[in-house]
Amino acid sequence: MNASELQPIEQFLQTHAPFDALPDDVISRCAREITIGYYAKASAFVEFDPINPKLYLVRSGAFEVRDPQGVLVDRVAEGECFGFSTLLSGEKVVNKVAILEDGLIYHLPHTLFSELRSHHRQFDTFFTRAFAQRLRNEHKFKAKDHTTTSRITNMMAHQPVSIEKHANVCEAAKLMRDNRVSSVLVLDNNQLVGIVTDRDLRNRVLAEGIGGEAVVESVMTKHPQSIAPNALVFEAMLLMSEHNIHHLPVVENNQARGMVTSTDILRSQSSQPLLLIGEIDRQDSIEKLIHVSKQIPVLLQNLISADARAEEIGRILTSVTDALTRRLIVLNQQLLGKAPMAFCWLAFGSQGRQDQVACSDQDNGLLLAEEPDEFAAAYFDKLSHAVCKGLDLCGYIYCPGEIMAQNPKWRMPLKKWQNKFSQWVSAPDPKALMHASIFFDMRAVYGPHSLFDELQSTVLDQTKDNDIFLAGMTANALQQTPPLGFFRKFVLERDGSEVKGMDLKHKGSALINDIGRIYALSAGIKEVNTAKRIRLLMDANIINRKDALNLADAHEFIAHMRLANQGYQANNNLTVSNYLMPQHLSSLLRHQLRDAFKVVHDAQSGLKLKFMRSF
Amino acid sequence: MISDSWLKARFRLDALILKYKLKSIPRSVINPERLIEYQQSLLSQFSKSINEAQLMAIDLEMTGLNPTEDQIISMGIVPITQAGIPLQQAQHLMISIDGSVGSSATIHGIVDNQLENALSLEQAVLWFLEHTKGHILVAHHAPMDVSFLLNYIEKVFGFRMLMPFIDTLGIEKKRYLRQHGQLIKGCVRLGESRERYHLPVYAGHNALLDAIACAELLLAQVAAMGGGHQMKCYELIETIK
Repeated sequence: MNASELQPIEQFLQTHAPFDALPDDVISRCAREITIGYYAKASAFVEFDPINPKLYLVRSGAFEVRDPQGVLVDRVAEGECFGFSTLLSGEKVVNKVAILEDGLIYHLPHTLFSELRSHHRQFDTFFTRAFAQRLRNEHKFKAKDHTTTSRITNMMAHQPVSIEKHANVCEAAKLMRDNRVSSVLVLDNNQLVGIVTDRDLRNRVLAEGIGGEAVVESVMTKHPQSIAPNALVFEAMLLMSEHNIHHLPVVENNQARGMVTSTDILRSQSSQPLLLIGEIDRQDSIEKLIHVSKQIPVLLQNLISADARAEEIGRILTSVTDALTRRLIVLNQQLLGKAPMAFCWLAFGSQGRQDQVACSDQDNGLLLAEEPDEFAAAYFDKLSHAVCKGLDLCGYIYCPGEIMAQNPKWRMPLKKWQNKFSQWVSAPDPKALMHASIFFDMRAVYGPHSLFDELQSTVLDQTKDNDIFLAGMTANALQQTPPLGFFRKFVLERDGSEVKGMDLKHKGSALINDIGRIYALSAGIKEVNTAKRIRLLMDANIINRKDALNLADAHEFIAHMRLANQGYQANNNLTVSNYLMPQHLSSLLRHQLRDAFKVVHDAQSGLKLKFMRSF
Repeated sequence: MISDSWLKARFRLDALILKYKLKSIPRSVINPERLIEYQQSLLSQFSKSINEAQLMAIDLEMTGLNPTEDQIISMGIVPITQAGIPLQQAQHLMISIDGSVGSSATIHGIVDNQLENALSLEQAVLWFLEHTKGHILVAHHAPMDVSFLLNYIEKVFGFRMLMPFIDTLGIEKKRYLRQHGQLIKGCVRLGESRERYHLPVYAGHNALLDAIACAELLLAQVAAMGGGHQMKCYELIETIK
C-alpha cells in the first residue's frame, strides 16, 4: 500500500491541531485507521456507540455539543473534535451532539487515541486540560533579549541614496544635502563600488584642495565594508567598531539594498526600557520629555516582537509611565516652587495594576496630606493641570471619565479620600461601585509611602470580610462572561450567539482583574497587580493552587494574545484595538484561547459561590 | 422499480444458465464454481436495508473508455458498513497491462514502473472475486466499471454472469432530473455531485480515493432520500450482464 494514496485525508490531518504535531508516518497510520461517517441533519443527533467510544473529528458540516442540562458546551465545525472527554474519563457519554448541518466525520478508534496520547506529548496536552502546565512549558513565553537577536533588515533605511561613479563631487554633495544624509553609495551599472561620506568630503576633497568638479570615483572609499540584510544588529556594531566606520551599506546579491548608520543602531538601542527610563530622568524640559516619549510605542513594538511575557511588558511600560509622571511632577515643581505640603500622585486602573498596554488613557488622582488652604489649593490645581497636560502630550490621553488629578473631585486630602472609599464600601449601590472599581487598584507613583499606606490601610480594613460590599462587587464582575469559544470565523458566546470579533480586554483580561481584585479586597491584600494578587491568594490558601495557577496562566495567555494582536495590527497599519478576529487564529490558538476562557468562566463560578452564596 | 423477488428470480435463472454452460466448457485450471458461489453470496443482500446491507464501493482506472478494447490499470475498493467507511479495509490494486499506460498516465498519475508489482489479469480477477464476495458493488457510473469487470471475468472463466450494482451517477441523474427538469453537461460527475451535498473537495485522483469519494456520495444521497434504515437495497440495484 502506497502511503500517499490517502493524501487528501492525510493533508487534512496535517493542517489541523493537534494532528499537525504528529510525524508523517504516524499521520499515514491515523488516516488508515479512520472510519468515515456521514451525519444527516434529519437524524437530529449523533448516535454514540457505548461499547466503542471514538474520537470524532469533523471533516465537514456543523455540530453542537450540549450537556445533560442543555447548556451549550461547544459548537464545532471543520477540523475540530468532540467525544474526547469520554475517551479521557472512561465514563459514558452524557453530552448530546446535535447535527446542525449535514457532514462527514472521521472516527478515530479509542486504541489509536490512547496510543497517540502516550507517544506524543503535544497531542496529549492538547486534549488533557493540563492548561497551566502546557503554558508554562511553552518556550515562546520565555522572553528573548532582542538586542542580540534583532536583525539589520528591521532597522536599515530601505532606499539608500546613491550616485553613479562618473558624477562629480558637487553633485554628490547636493544629493546628500537634499536627502539629509551623511553618506552616498557609489554605483557602477547598479553594482556597489564605493561610498562617499561627510568625512570623505572634508578629508579627501576640501582638505586636499580638490574642486567640486572632481569625479566621485576619485574620492570615494573603494569596496566599502558591507553587511547582509539578515545579519544581526550586533554584528553590524562589531564591524563598525572594528573598522572605525559609521556607515554600512546593506548588500544582497551584489545589489545595494539599504544603509545602516551608527545613529540608527544607537536609536534602536535607546528604545530599551532601562535606557529610555534613564533618558526620561535626564530631560530638563517638558518639550524634551515629550520628544523622548515618542519612543514608547517603539519600545512596545520591540517588546512584542521579542515575545516578552505580557506581564513583563505591562510592568515595563508602566515603569516608563511612572518615570514620566514623576519627571513631569519634578519639572513642574521646579517651575511652581516647592509644594506647600506632602502629597501623593495616585495611579488607578491599568497603571495602578502595572498592566498598561498601547493607547492607555490616564487614570490618576492626588492625595494631599491635609486640607489645603487657598494658596495650597491653587498650587495643586496648577501642578495637576500641568502634569495631566504633559501626560496627554506624551501620548497618555486625558481620561474620558475625568478620573484625573486635575479634576478637583479627585484631588483631596486624606480624610476626604477615606470618606469617599467608605461611601463606596458601606453603601454599595451597584452602579456607583461599577465606576469605582478602578479606584481599588491604586498605587502611589510619587510621594511619601506613609501617606499612601494610611489611605490603603483604612480602605482594606473596611473591605476585608465585608460580605455585602464583596457581594456587590461580585455581582458587577459577573455582568460580563468570557465567550465559549469559536465557531468557524465567529466568536461563540455562551448563549449560542455568534459575533464577529472578540474583545480581549472586556471579555478576558478585565474579568480576571475583577476576580483578583475581589479576592484581594476580601483578604485585605495590599498588592494591586493581578498576577501578584493571584500568587498571594494562592500562598494564603484563599484560592487553591491548581485554580490559581490556571487563572494566572489564562491571564498571561489572554494578555499575550491581546498584545500579539496589537502588534499585528500596528505592523499592518490597522487601527490598534482590543478586538481579535478569529480568522487570524491558528486552530491551536483557538483551542488554547477556548481553554483560557473556560478557566475564567470556572473562576467566575467560584467567585459567585464564595461571595454571593447568601444573597 | 424492481422488486426483491423479481431480482432474485433473475439471478436464480442466471445461475441455472451458468451451471448449464459449465457442463459444456472444458475443465480449466480455475474452478468456475467460484462464479456461482460469488453470485449466490449476493442474493441475501437484496432485501436488506441500505444500512444493514454489505456494500463495496469500487473504482477502476482504465487505459480508455471502451470495455472491449481498453484495460484496467488499477482498482480501489472500500466497504460501506453500518459504522461508516472503514479506511483500514480500503484496498488499492495495480493490474499489469499489455503495452504502456500511455496518455491515461497523465490523468491517473500512474506511470509504467508503478505497475511492476502489479497482478496479472487472472490474479486480479480472482482477487476481485475474493475481496468483494458478499458485497453489492457501488460505483459512480457503475455500468462502465462493471462492464470492464465482466469482460475480465469472461477472459478468465470463458463466460459472463449477471452482476448487481448500485450506481451513484444513476441515482444522482434521477434526483437531479426530479429537481431541475433537465440535465446540464457535467452536472452529475463525481465532483459536481459531491459538491451538491457539500462533501469536501479531494485534490488528486486514484482508484482508491475515488472509491472513497463514491462511498461518501452514496451515504449523502441515501441520507437525502430519507435515510438508509428504511430504503431497501433492491430499490437501488441495477443489473448488467
